[in-house]
Amino acid sequence: MTLSESNFETLRDFIYNFCGMFFHTGRKYFLESRITRRMEARGIKDYPDYFKLLRSGSDSSGELKLLLTEITTNETCFFRNTQQIAALERQFLPELVETKKKIGFRKIRIWSAGSSSGEEAYTFAMLLLEKRATILKDWVIEIIGTDISEKVLVQAREGVYNNYSVRNMPELYRKKYFKEEAGGTFVLAPEAKKLVTFTSLNLYDDSRMVFMKSFDIIICSNVLIYFDTPAKSKIVQHYYNNLQPYGYFFLGQSESLHSVNDKFKTIHFPGGFAYKK
Amino acid sequence: MISPDKASRLQKAETMIRETNNLPTIPEIATRVSHLLDDPDVELDQVAEVILTDQVMASRVIKIVNSPMFRPMHEINSLKRALIYLGFRRIREIALTCSIIKTFEGKDGVFDIKTFWQHSFGVGIVAKIIAQRVRYPEIEKAYICGIVHDIGEVFLSSCLREEFQKIVDLIKGTCHSFAEAEMLMLGTTHCELGLCLAKKWNFPLEYCDVIENHHTPEDASFDPMLVAIINLADLFCSVRNLDYDNREWVSFNLAEEKSWEILQRFSPNFSDLDVERFCFELDERVAEIEELVLSIFEK
Repeated sequence: MTLSESNFETLRDFIYNFCGMFFHTGRKYFLESRITRRMEARGIKDYPDYFKLLRSGSDSSGELKLLLTEITTNETCFFRNTQQIAALERQFLPELVETKKKIGFRKIRIWSAGSSSGEEAYTFAMLLLEKRATILKDWVIEIIGTDISEKVLVQAREGVYNNYSVRNMPELYRKKYFKEEAGGTFVLAPEAKKLVTFTSLNLYDDSRMVFMKSFDIIICSNVLIYFDTPAKSKIVQHYYNNLQPYGYFFLGQSESLHSVNDKFKTIHFPGGFAYKK
Repeated sequence: MISPDKASRLQKAETMIRETNNLPTIPEIATRVSHLLDDPDVELDQVAEVILTDQVMASRVIKIVNSPMFRPMHEINSLKRALIYLGFRRIREIALTCSIIKTFEGKDGVFDIKTFWQHSFGVGIVAKIIAQRVRYPEIEKAYICGIVHDIGEVFLSSCLREEFQKIVDLIKGTCHSFAEAEMLMLGTTHCELGLCLAKKWNFPLEYCDVIENHHTPEDASFDPMLVAIINLADLFCSVRNLDYDNREWVSFNLAEEKSWEILQRFSPNFSDLDVERFCFELDERVAEIEELVLSIFEK
């Protein structure tokens, strides 16, 4: 069923206001196909009825969360957010390294919060390994991936991926850091694997969140969309507290921190935002 | 009081403009239109007659009137109707814009000229949106100033190609701005060069102010609000795919930008702007701006 321009805009506003995720018009067909799946699952025939269900706070099945899961499933892959990676390589990483060198602290700590099957955390590992010969020579690199789901953590620790996960990856990285096996399986090189530690964490668990200390970079991509605004604010406050004064916090490419936290300063770079204390 | 640095940059720019052999000239039509409009008793037909002597210019005026800036209820197909729609005050500005486009037409330099205008029209359109949000009274002026703010850059790209290529090479892969590299290589920047050109072409004072200070809105002398609008529009375009093909790496902390501070002084509610959403919505307009520029260049 075709999503009309006005229905698309209604839905876009709704998703943005509740989740902080913006759907560009270019992703209209994607959204349309995922909604169709959800409407079929609920036996709903037209959009206004479905929107009513999305809006109803009393909906115990949490239709909005189910739709978001439908939208974000299989979204993760290596080198997903190219603009963010470009910004890190060109500006943020060299800046961080310079600052830390001045204070004589040759260690970099990165947290991939909501790391899912590990693609994002390992992308960082590969990017930093590439800097080993230059700006990160003799540096200690610590990358932590956390997720609430044990199932995805097992996958992440295994470090074995399929074609779909490596679809965005530059050839150089694919050749250097993966062993391609029969059946389109890609096995991550041990040197990248050993840089990342995966651990189970519920972002809403204050007692654990307070111990996630002293990160230079925190990235939380397409995770906050599942929380309501007070919960989001609480989690982002933890990120704020756990970030070094010169560190950077990143969200997913189409996510916004507006009305969630007013302490972070927004840094604009080509195609994205970073947040700084 | 002009600082010694500023004076030396201006002097350098004046010399460079003076020594450029193939210096572009503004078409005579713009000057004639401008003179006509100085006469309070001028008739619309007289203005139309002058513009119609250049068919390309006439068709551009019509295209700009139909562009997202003005967006009339019904499409306007004749020059005379376009002029009526615009009114005398805006005619001067539109004629000037069309003249500048003509001046640099076919002068692909280091930049493809369309890339240049995409950024410029982008800044014009975003300046218009910001002007509306901060309730700046002259929205068209913000639009036109957005279009002309970087004439110094197009001058460098098309008239001083070798030097400008070196500047582009110098900033490649770095976080340095054009202005920083220009200062290093030429001892002046596109802001002072643009100002000298604007003065030579008898641009209105507020345009000169924008061209000179669009990277330093705190130095604006004539209309600080206008200069701040253009500065902010320029920053947003530079990070949302309306830049010069990624040649310059622009990154900024909005809270520390002078233009942000200036605009909040004039319009306190502006601080409530959902900046992220504003940027996402700007992404949506990139294709439209590219189309507009292509249509303006269509013969």
